[in-house]
Amino acid sequence: MARAMGRNPLIGVVVALASVVAATLLIYALDDVAPVVSLGVIYLVAVLLVSSIWGARLGIATALVSAAAFNWFHIPPTGRFSISEGENWVALGTLLVVAVVTSSLAERARLRTEEAEQRRQEADLAAEMARLLLRGGRLEEALPTVSQRLAHALGLPSASIELAAVESDERRVAFPLRERTTQVGTLVVPAGMPEDVLARLQVRVVPQLEALLAAAQERDELLGDVVETAALRRSDVLKTALLRAVSHDLRSPLTAILTAADALDSATIRDEERLEMTRAIREEALRLSRLIDNLLDLSRLEAHAAEPQREWSSVEEILQSAVDELGLPDGTFALSVALDLPQVRADAAQLDRAFANLLENSARHSGGHPVSVRARAVGERVLIRIVDRGPGIPPAQLERVFQPFYRAGTDRTGHRGSGLGLAIARGFIEANGGKVWAESLPGQATTFVVEMPLDVTDREPEPEPVP
Amino acid sequence: VSRRVLVCDDEGQILRALRIVLRDAGFDVVPASTAQEALDAAALHPPDAAIIDLVLPDGDGVEVTRSLREWTDVPILVLSAVDDEDEKVRALQAGADDYVTKPFGPKELVARLEAILRRRGDRADDPVLRAGGLELDLAAHVARRDGAELHLTPIEFDLLKELLRNRGRLLTHRMLLTAVWGPNYGDEVATLRTHISNLRRKIEPQGAERVLHTDPGVGYRLL
Repeated sequence: MARAMGRNPLIGVVVALASVVAATLLIYALDDVAPVVSLGVIYLVAVLLVSSIWGARLGIATALVSAAAFNWFHIPPTGRFSISEGENWVALGTLLVVAVVTSSLAERARLRTEEAEQRRQEADLAAEMARLLLRGGRLEEALPTVSQRLAHALGLPSASIELAAVESDERRVAFPLRERTTQVGTLVVPAGMPEDVLARLQVRVVPQLEALLAAAQERDELLGDVVETAALRRSDVLKTALLRAVSHDLRSPLTAILTAADALDSATIRDEERLEMTRAIREEALRLSRLIDNLLDLSRLEAHAAEPQREWSSVEEILQSAVDELGLPDGTFALSVALDLPQVRADAAQLDRAFANLLENSARHSGGHPVSVRARAVGERVLIRIVDRGPGIPPAQLERVFQPFYRAGTDRTGHRGSGLGLAIARGFIEANGGKVWAESLPGQATTFVVEMPLDVTDREPEPEPVP
Repeated sequence: VSRRVLVCDDEGQILRALRIVLRDAGFDVVPASTAQEALDAAALHPPDAAIIDLVLPDGDGVEVTRSLREWTDVPILVLSAVDDEDEKVRALQAGADDYVTKPFGPKELVARLEAILRRRGDRADDPVLRAGGLELDLAAHVARRDGAELHLTPIEFDLLKELLRNRGRLLTHRMLLTAVWGPNYGDEVATLRTHISNLRRKIEPQGAERVLHTDPGVGYRLL
């Protein structure tokens, strides 16, 4: 408030006069308890008040008016500007000198306070700029906020920080921001700012901004390195998991084959056991072969080498072929496809691999109950829902089941999945522009939903023009 | 009399094939496909030996081993499908006698099983330990190979004693170090290696049959 009044000298004059009047009246009230001569100090309060807010000039004026008032109203003979006794001369002189000195001291204190206030604001500004620039996130996104804050702190109508080099012109002043010899950015403010604001910018704000901007850019670079390292580490983790899973999943069927082969050599083997062992060898060999297919698919997907060859394809044909491929007993799947289901533009071979994996997974967890497979067009999409009657998936694992090597459990026959199937299914479906997710009520059933987009702009399946 | 062996593996095909192979070797197989089934079967028909897969749908073979060890010292052989030394050491520390890595030849499995069963047949109160041509007279503190006295340092004598007492069993580095040097020396694998190599020179002279087997990264086994 004092600062606001300090800008208006008129208020200063009014306050000065009012406080001189008040001091004069106060001395009347007190002259019974103390000698009038020593009560002159009361005027000093008025001088101090005025000079500390409105400066030394008005303070000295107040001192002179105070001396005159003291002389006129209180120093005998009162009612005129004359002094009868020598000691009263001394009192008036002392008052005048002390008042002048006080007012210049107060002026100096006022300037110091103002400067300290300015420094504090600059320190606040620096701290806030540091917080905004260094807290993380992208540097480009922090710059508008920093510029706004800077303009506000310096009382500028606007300011902007550019990461590029900008030249001054008649409408704006550009301060290049440099770190050592390279320019890291430019601070641009409107032209026509007061000299002292420009000086403050030049001397105080620009060096801080330079240091902060350089630090923020260095941080961004380091962050980039960290992200890259983390990505490399993740791919390393994946490779280790792959090796472990491969070594585990390849070894189990191999053990079964080796043991069954030895059992076939047994002298005591019975006929039905012999049949069982030959069947085991065949089944385990097929399992190995499927695993190898899956591993190749996965590594292709991980390497982004699975570029789909999109053609108009029939969802029904793809589903039927996936069912046939699995070679599971009749009645494992209950297929229901809408009669008027439009075709989708997709790589049929990839979708076939995706659905074979989804269907195999559902059959494995369905506990012997048929797996229902329904395909319908809904709006501009085809939805395929694969519902098993298995134990369901807890909500926390609904997404995790799509991660490579994640496996939910074992089925009745003791065959675990490789933990690759759902990851591959999602990989191929997404490569073809679709989506797949799991819905489940734990303890009840799991539904895998596949959503494929329909190309509405070109609904009629026409032969593709050869490019 | 056929010996009863508990086989716990969640792969049905392996269980069925092992039943035939082990039957030929004179074992009666009690199959189990989960950890819980294995513990129930062992309690119901105490087996003479157990073969347990490390990865089970409802738990882990190490846990099964530990639970069995709470009440029985039946020889335990664990099956592992991963070449992970830490996992093997964990199983051995939990009380397993040996492990076999998948894929294994069934003949190797039977040989290992016989080896750990043989040790259980040794008489515990005999002051003389024997294996192959080796003989360790604990009372007289004398070691012989094919009748000829071996000059062993006290540490080598203790190491040989530990290996002979646990004949057929795979002893981890830590088990040997703790037994011979004490519990504070469990990590001094380099020291152990030096003494084992000295001991090996004395008990396996040039051209002699190898009796002391090294399992890299895990431990040693005397057959």
